[in-house]
Amino acid sequence: MAVGATAINILGFVFLSHAVYSAYEHSLLPSASQPTPPSRLLPSFLDPRVNLPLDITLETLFSVLLLCVGVVLSSPELKPIQWNVWAGRLERSKEARATKEVGVGGGNPFAGVEERPGFLDIRGQRKEFARWVREGER
Amino acid sequence: MANPLLEAPSKSSPETAIDLSQQASTFITSQSSWLSAIPYPLSLFINTESQEKWQTYENLFLACLRTGDDNTAYACLESLTDRFGKGNDRVVALQGLYKEATAKNESELAEVLREYEEMLKSDPTIFSIRKRRAAVLRSMGKTSDAVTALTNLLDQSPTDAEAWSELGDLYLTQGSYDQAIFSFEEVLLIMPYSWNMQARLGEVLYLASGRTEGGDQMKILSESMRRFCRSLELCDDYLRGHYGLKLVTTRLLEVLSTSKKPQQSSSDPVRGDLAPPSVDAVKKLNELATSKLAEIVRRSNSGEKGWDGYSAAEIIAARELLDRDTQKIER
Repeated sequence: MAVGATAINILGFVFLSHAVYSAYEHSLLPSASQPTPPSRLLPSFLDPRVNLPLDITLETLFSVLLLCVGVVLSSPELKPIQWNVWAGRLERSKEARATKEVGVGGGNPFAGVEERPGFLDIRGQRKEFARWVREGER
Repeated sequence: MANPLLEAPSKSSPETAIDLSQQASTFITSQSSWLSAIPYPLSLFINTESQEKWQTYENLFLACLRTGDDNTAYACLESLTDRFGKGNDRVVALQGLYKEATAKNESELAEVLREYEEMLKSDPTIFSIRKRRAAVLRSMGKTSDAVTALTNLLDQSPTDAEAWSELGDLYLTQGSYDQAIFSFEEVLLIMPYSWNMQARLGEVLYLASGRTEGGDQMKILSESMRRFCRSLELCDDYLRGHYGLKLVTTRLLEVLSTSKKPQQSSSDPVRGDLAPPSVDAVKKLNELATSKLAEIVRRSNSGEKGWDGYSAAEIIAARELLDRDTQKIER
């Protein structure tokens, strides 16, 4: 998917550049400076008063469309906004609960209520660790 | 990029604790580079501070203390004290922790306790020290003193979920289920979305149901079932919740099948009592929990992507529960 989205983006960019360059080149033509007939569709204050050929207009619109689609497709995966989906991912996958920096990641935010770091029984933990080491040596 | 130095080492396995403590000396030497020796006005241009740095110091301190590497732990403690000062609540608690861990006998531990009490006499608002005092009392086996210390603490700070949880755990070790349930309900009042505490209350209720009989037992079991359901509502694929739900619905089905008639009269919606669940609903929940457990065990064992986060021991326990079930059917 990522390769396709990048290809669409590149294609859109090439078309857009081509359209812009064509418009610039067209404006240098002697015929471009002639007065334009007033538009029949647009009101006068919206009329751009340029006589750009139809193919350049179409190419611009097409390239912008391609870029829109490409940007949407190449966007990163959406993050869950439902509580249960988000929490389920934290339980399920190690990657989702990895701590990246202080306050970012780290899994269940309520784990501390059950682990109770403020009431840490360090003597018990030391004894448990010593027992684990002794069992490992045996 | 995940950083193992930032994971709190409190409940981690001994393997990770020893890994962490082995990284300690390299981390400390990497911090004391020539950059920190630059004199005052120039040092303003260099930032050696970050939250991560001090969190790492604290984690290394705890891991080293656990593995018995007291010298490295003391070095970490010194850096923390230099940075945050002797009067900082957290540093004071860490210093107490160091003294507790290195106390050689009961009398030295009693000395630490006496120091805590001295400190609290001069300033009774240091909650970290009050918590340490309760923890020391508990580890010395003076459970009733620990309960008194905790109830005093909670009288003054009734929204401290950690202290409520500790009190509930303490009551649970004493076998006072009613008080334990009350404490865990207080935790849930403060943190209603904590799915692990919902499951914890469900487990305590399930334990408490073993002591009662008849209508009361049914009421407690259905309450426990509702707690597990709530924890699953808050968290998809919660192994602990599904495990508890399966246990409690199995038990509830036995109770419902032996009881003569459904006790509809005992339900009173005004007082918050709900009617006992129907047999069909319980059966459906039991089937749901069984199928979910089987799915979790299968996907976790096959090493599917994004399913590697369950603890191995929990998966084995779930598998045993499922195996027990199939054996019963075969017989």
